[in-house]
Amino acid sequence: MSETLQRLVGQLRAVVVKEIRQTTQDRRMIFLLTVAPFLQLLLFGFAIDLDVDQVPTAVVDLDHTPESRETIAGMLADGTLAHVATPPSVPDAERLLEDGTVAVVLVLPEGYGRDLARGVPTQAQVLVDGTDPTRANVAGGAASGYLGLEGLRLAQAQIAARLPEGRTLPSVVVRPRLFYNPTQSTPIYMVPGIAGMLLLIITTIVVSMGLAREREMGTLEAVRVTPLPTPVLMVGKIAPFVVVGLFDVTLAITAGAWIFDVPIRGSLLLFYGITALYLLTTVGVGLFVSTVSQTQQQAFLGGFIFVLPAMLLSGTMTPIHAMPAWMQPLTALNPLRFYMEAVRAILLKGATFTEVRVQAAALLVYGLAIMALATSRFRKRVS
Amino acid sequence: MTPDHAIEVDALSRRFGAFTAVDAVSFDVGRGEIFGYLGANGAGKSTTIRMLCGLLAPTSGDAVVAGARVSTSPEAVKRNIGYMSQRFSLYPELKVRENLEFFGGAYGLFGRHLNTRIAETLDRVGLHGHAEDRTSSLPGGMRQRVALAGAILHEPGIVFLDEPTAGVDPVARRRFWSLIRELASAGTTIFVTTHYMDEAEYCARVGLMVAGRLPALDTPEGLKATYVPGDLFVLRGPGAHADDARARLLAVPGVVDVATMGAGLRARCAADAHVRGDALAAALPAEVEVEPDTASLEDVFLAVVDAEAQARGAARAFGEGD
Repeated sequence: MSETLQRLVGQLRAVVVKEIRQTTQDRRMIFLLTVAPFLQLLLFGFAIDLDVDQVPTAVVDLDHTPESRETIAGMLADGTLAHVATPPSVPDAERLLEDGTVAVVLVLPEGYGRDLARGVPTQAQVLVDGTDPTRANVAGGAASGYLGLEGLRLAQAQIAARLPEGRTLPSVVVRPRLFYNPTQSTPIYMVPGIAGMLLLIITTIVVSMGLAREREMGTLEAVRVTPLPTPVLMVGKIAPFVVVGLFDVTLAITAGAWIFDVPIRGSLLLFYGITALYLLTTVGVGLFVSTVSQTQQQAFLGGFIFVLPAMLLSGTMTPIHAMPAWMQPLTALNPLRFYMEAVRAILLKGATFTEVRVQAAALLVYGLAIMALATSRFRKRVS
Repeated sequence: MTPDHAIEVDALSRRFGAFTAVDAVSFDVGRGEIFGYLGANGAGKSTTIRMLCGLLAPTSGDAVVAGARVSTSPEAVKRNIGYMSQRFSLYPELKVRENLEFFGGAYGLFGRHLNTRIAETLDRVGLHGHAEDRTSSLPGGMRQRVALAGAILHEPGIVFLDEPTAGVDPVARRRFWSLIRELASAGTTIFVTTHYMDEAEYCARVGLMVAGRLPALDTPEGLKATYVPGDLFVLRGPGAHADDARARLLAVPGVVDVATMGAGLRARCAADAHVRGDALAAALPAEVEVEPDTASLEDVFLAVVDAEAQARGAARAFGEGD
């Protein structure tokens, strides 16, 4: 028995050593596995900024009264809207909206100040370019939010003026307090997600191409005629890339902490444990793709067929609850989704194992299932 | 399994859907024998070798290779054989030593024993001092010997060589074959597929595969005596260049085939015809030089393919064939 074990360990070591030698032979591969993810993390960390501010705005003041000027100044005060143009008429403003110079047009009609002073209902118009829905939402929200509050303030002032001395109006003030990411910084939210995506891309694609390359070169035939057991071959081929993945994720959270102030509130051990489970699924998918591909080209494309939807349906870029109802259950098949949830919870909230056990279990189940599937597919091709 | 047989094949068959790649093939290979397996591309050579190596399960029939059944214990078969394929089954980006460490490790060798075997085997195949060379930098003939080294590191009793010399120059081929003969004389059984007919002459026995079947199996001499029994003549000179030279020769009683060979013609005669050289010369309009020739395995190959085609045609005519 111990002799069998010794032989298995020797066989596994032979495969691992060979994989490492092949990979380190290729300088482009080393770059792809270590430097590229780091650069991409920086790039994405800086580029993916979901905050909307400084939306270019045109102001058409047809009223020219102190009231209209006060309203405009108030709307521009918080920096969401940036006053960049003052066209003389509404048609001129619409042209600016059309050619993209501005994304928002504020129109205060003639008589705005007079109506306000009289205390009768009046109107202000806000035109929003809806091509970018997020920006339109935020800009429209800022404008209508300000105008709504302003209306309420004016109404309260009128009512208060008629109240007896010493009485005040009842009111509810909402002051949300944000936990975990109080400054609402996008990188803090995005960096764990980006790390998960980079791991997915690198490990899935590299592993899927590895076996396909052996098939293309004809070496797979030579390997298969040896008594190397299939599971040993599989484990040996993926183990180095799991290590590379753990290295990359270390790089990612280090860079995240230093450059983007991403906190590490939970246990690092838990974080690495979850990452290892996640890598089991990504390399498993890579192995599976390689068992259904004849060439490296097919493997590369096959890898992307999985990687792209997995990224989009993970809740990294867009919240899962914003997806169509029929699509939401699909995300339950996505390992990236569970990894993302778990990592955000561990890093940002300091979650413990109990709080991420569902995600851990899902990753473990998917990892084992895809590995089993890949191994059986690989064996089946033989007979 | 008799102790004299390294390989025993019994009605081994493999079908892929409706296509029968290997059709009830049976033969034995003796210990230390060099056994040649010939056939055109697509005749079923590779499918046979893949089944014998435990890579492909037979549809029916079975084979015992190095004491293990390929149908039930392919893993035991794999442990006891070495295999080298027509495509260089090496990692070109790795060094010679690194390749051998991998294949040795895959066969369960490790530690000092592995290192010793690598050194011994490299010596044996004449690659002493090349351990640290990058495999891709070696010429084809040397790479082929590295691949052979990888197949014999674990000292298997049987080595399968699947078109081992494809794409290698004649000098390297000759050197390779002298290595193979050394291995065999040391007791290793060699099963080799090739479509170089001159290489088949090195084999103790040769099996000829045609369309999935094995109609001919014998020593090279036996095959020639059976399939090319008659006399052969080579005719050179002005007479052989006449436009109707072929037709004139075929008109001579006993001549069964005339083929172009180099600048002359080669006539094959029926076994019991006793055609004489001067009868052939007399049939031609101008002077020729006539020399008797010996049969080659190529003649055998063509004769076997012909006979098979005729047998099939006959079977089809009687409505028996497919």
